[in-house]
Amino acid sequence: MEIDDPLTNGNTDAVMTESAPPFTPSPPVPASRSSQLTESLKLEHQLLRVPFEHYKKTIRANHRCLEKEVTAFVSGVGDLADNNRSKDVTVSRLTGLVSRLQGLKRKLEEGSNVENLQAQRCRARIDHLDSADGDNITEWNNTKLKRILVDYMLRMSYFDTASKLSETSNILDLVDIDIFREAKKVIDALKRREVASALAWCADNKTRLKKAKSKFEFQLRLQEFIELVRANSYKQAIHYARKHLAPWGATHMNDLQPVLATLAFKSTTECTKYKVLFELGQWDILVHQFKQEFCKLYGMTMEPLLNIYLQAGLSALKTPYGFEEGCTKEDPLSQESFRKLALPLPYSKQEHSKLVCYISKELMDTENPPLVFPNGYVYSTKALKEMADKNKGEVKCPRTGLVCNYTDLVKAYIS
Amino acid sequence: MELKSIKDAFDRVANKQKLSYTKTQEIIQMLSQELDKALILLQEQFDHRPILASLKKTLQENSPLTQIEVREKELNMALTKYPKVLEKQQLNSDISKAYRHNVEFDTHVVNQIIANFFYRQGMFDVGDCFLAETGDESECSTRRSFVEMHQIVEAMEMRRELGPALNWATSNSEKLRQARSDLEMKLHSLRFLEIARDQTSQEAINYARKHMAGFADSSLYEIQKLICSLLWSRNLEHSPYSDLLAPSRWNDAVRELTRQYCNLLGESSESALSTTVAAGTQALPVLLKYMNVMVAASKKLDWQSVEQLPVAVELSEEFQFRSVFVCPVSKEQASDENPPMMMSCGHVLCKQTINKMSKNGARSSFKCPYCPTDVDISKCRQLHF
Repeated sequence: MEIDDPLTNGNTDAVMTESAPPFTPSPPVPASRSSQLTESLKLEHQLLRVPFEHYKKTIRANHRCLEKEVTAFVSGVGDLADNNRSKDVTVSRLTGLVSRLQGLKRKLEEGSNVENLQAQRCRARIDHLDSADGDNITEWNNTKLKRILVDYMLRMSYFDTASKLSETSNILDLVDIDIFREAKKVIDALKRREVASALAWCADNKTRLKKAKSKFEFQLRLQEFIELVRANSYKQAIHYARKHLAPWGATHMNDLQPVLATLAFKSTTECTKYKVLFELGQWDILVHQFKQEFCKLYGMTMEPLLNIYLQAGLSALKTPYGFEEGCTKEDPLSQESFRKLALPLPYSKQEHSKLVCYISKELMDTENPPLVFPNGYVYSTKALKEMADKNKGEVKCPRTGLVCNYTDLVKAYIS
Repeated sequence: MELKSIKDAFDRVANKQKLSYTKTQEIIQMLSQELDKALILLQEQFDHRPILASLKKTLQENSPLTQIEVREKELNMALTKYPKVLEKQQLNSDISKAYRHNVEFDTHVVNQIIANFFYRQGMFDVGDCFLAETGDESECSTRRSFVEMHQIVEAMEMRRELGPALNWATSNSEKLRQARSDLEMKLHSLRFLEIARDQTSQEAINYARKHMAGFADSSLYEIQKLICSLLWSRNLEHSPYSDLLAPSRWNDAVRELTRQYCNLLGESSESALSTTVAAGTQALPVLLKYMNVMVAASKKLDWQSVEQLPVAVELSEEFQFRSVFVCPVSKEQASDENPPMMMSCGHVLCKQTINKMSKNGARSSFKCPYCPTDVDISKCRQLHF
C-alpha cells in the first residue's frame, strides 16, 4: 500500500478552525524498534524530575539551617566582643557555642547522608533509563507498568499496596512513596480543617512558591480567617487579618475584600455571595489547590500516569466499529471493562486501510489479497486456499456457515 | 536523546554538592579550633577582652559565611542547569497535555482491571491488599481461575510436575484443538522424555501409543524425533537429539499453557492492561507533538470533545487487531453506519461515498474512480472483514 504524499494530505477535519494549516506530520511510518524505545524514554521526565526536586529541596533546607547557625555563631562572638561582659559569662557563652557547633556538625553529617541517599536515587533512575535496550525490552516494559501502577496507588493513597507492589517488584528506587506520604499528611490535615501543616509546607517551600507567584498561602490564611468568623471570634479575626492578611492586600485586594466583609455577616447567612465563602466545600478546594501546587513543584502530572497512558492507548486502539462477537480476544477492547473505559474517548485516525483476516489473523495485502464470499464476508487468499486444498476445492465461511466453491470467490481491490 | 549528558549534568551537581559539604566541614572545623584556642587562652590569661577581639577579627577575616555562599552558589548553578538539560534532551516535561479532562474513568472498572492484572501475574497478596484498600466490596471474579493456573504453572516450574498440567490439558482437549494449540503435544513430549529417562523405553512407547496417536497428523515430525531419541535412552545429551533436553522446552510449554488458559478464560494472551499501556506509549509522543505544534501556532483546539483523534497514530503491527477500511475517496473510516461496499469491478468504497457518487440514487450508475467501469448501485455488495 502506497503512502500518501503528506503535502497533499489535506486535512478535512471540521474540528479545527477554518484557516488551520493542514497539520503535516512526518509520513506515518511505523517507527523502528530503537526509535520507539527512545520515544518511550522521552516520556519519563517525571521519573527523573521528582527525586531531583526532592534532592534540591533537601540541599536548600540544609543550607538554610547551616546559614542560620553560622550567622548566629558569628553574631554571638561579635556580641561578646562588643559588649563588656564578665569573664565567666564569656566562658560560659563560648562553651555554649562549642556544643552548638558540635550539634551543627552532627546535623550536617546526617543531612549529608540524606542528600547522598537522594542523589543515589536520582542516579538509579538515570541508570534505569539507560538499561533499556532491545534485549530486555519486555522486562523493562513490565517494570514500567508496575511503576505506573505504583504511581496510581500513591495518588489514591493506597500506601500498603504501593509498598507491597514496590517491594515484590523490586522497584523501591524507582518510586516516590515518601514524597506522597508527605503530601498525604498535609491533605489529611486540610481535610480535618487544620491549616497548620499546609502553612508549614508553604514555609518550607517559600522561595519556590514565591517564584511561581502562588497565592496558596494567602488562601490558607483566608480560610483560617473565615473559620474565626464562623466561630464568632471577631476580635481574634481582626487581629489575625492585620497580622497575616494585610501583607497580601496590595496584590490580592479583590480576593481579600469579600472575605473581610464576611465580618459583617453571620456564618449562617443566606446572602449567596458570602454563603459560598462559609461553605465547607471551600476546604475541598484548598485540598485541590494543594495537590496542584505540590505536583507543580515536583514536576509531576496532576493525573495518575495510568490514566494518561490508558486514555492514549484506548483511543489509539479504538475503531468506529462497535463490538463484534468473535473478534480476536487479543484486542483489549474485546473486553467489556476496557470498552466501558473507552466509551467517551475518540477513536483513532487511520490514513490507510489495514485488513486483518478473520481466520489467520494475518494482514491482507497485495501478497495475500482479500477474497469475497457471495454473501460479502471477506477472508485472506492464503487461509481460503488452505481450506480449499483440505476440502476438495470447497470453502466455508466460518462466521455464517455459507459453503461455496473456491472458484466462486471474487477478489477485492483495496488500495 | 543522550542519557550521557543527563548523567554528566547530574554528576556535576553531585560534585558541587560534595565540594560544598567539604568546605562546610572545613569551616566548622576552623570555627571549632578558634573557639577551643580562645577558651584555652581565657583560662591562662586574665583579660578576656583582647582574646574576644582577636577571635572576632579572625572570624571577620575568614568570613565563613561568604565562603559557604560561594560554594552554595556554584551548587545552585548546577542545580538550575539540570532541569534545562532534561528539557534539552527532549524529555517531555508535561505528558498530560493531551489528556482529556472531561473524561472520568469509572474507578470501579479501573480497580477491577488492576486487580485482574495482579491475579493474572500471580501477585495474589498484592491484589488482595489492593482490593481491601480500595474498599471495593466485590471480589474479582477471575481470582480463583488464576489461582488454579498458577498452581499448575508452579508445579511445572518449581517441581517439574506435569500432572496438573496434563489433567487440565486433557480436560480442555476439544477447545485446545479448536484453538489449534500444540499444548497437549508439548506436555506429552515432556512426559514421554521423563518416562524414557526414569523408566524403560517400553513404558515410554506405551505412553506414546496411548496419548500421542491422536496427534499423528499435526505433529508427526515431533513424534518421530521422540521415538528415535529412545535409541540413545541413557545418553541423550550426546545424541543428535540433545535439544530435546533443553530447559527452554519447559519454558515454552509453560508459556503456551498460560496463553491457552487465559484464552479459555476469555482473556487475551498478553495482559490487556500491558497491551493498552504499550499502545499508549506509542501514541503519546504523537499526540503530545501535535498538541505542541497546535499551541505553538496558537490554533484553537476543540480537543475535549472530538470524536476522532485529529492526528494519525501509527501503531506497530502487533496492535493491529481489527480490520480498518479507509475509503480512498472520502478518507473516512468504515463503521457500522457507513460500511465498505464492493462494486462490480472489485474496487471498494464506503457506502456514503457511493451514495454521493450516485447523487443519492438520482443516477442509477456511476463510474468507478479507479477503473473507468460503469457501476450499478444495486449490484454493490456490503463487505464484512
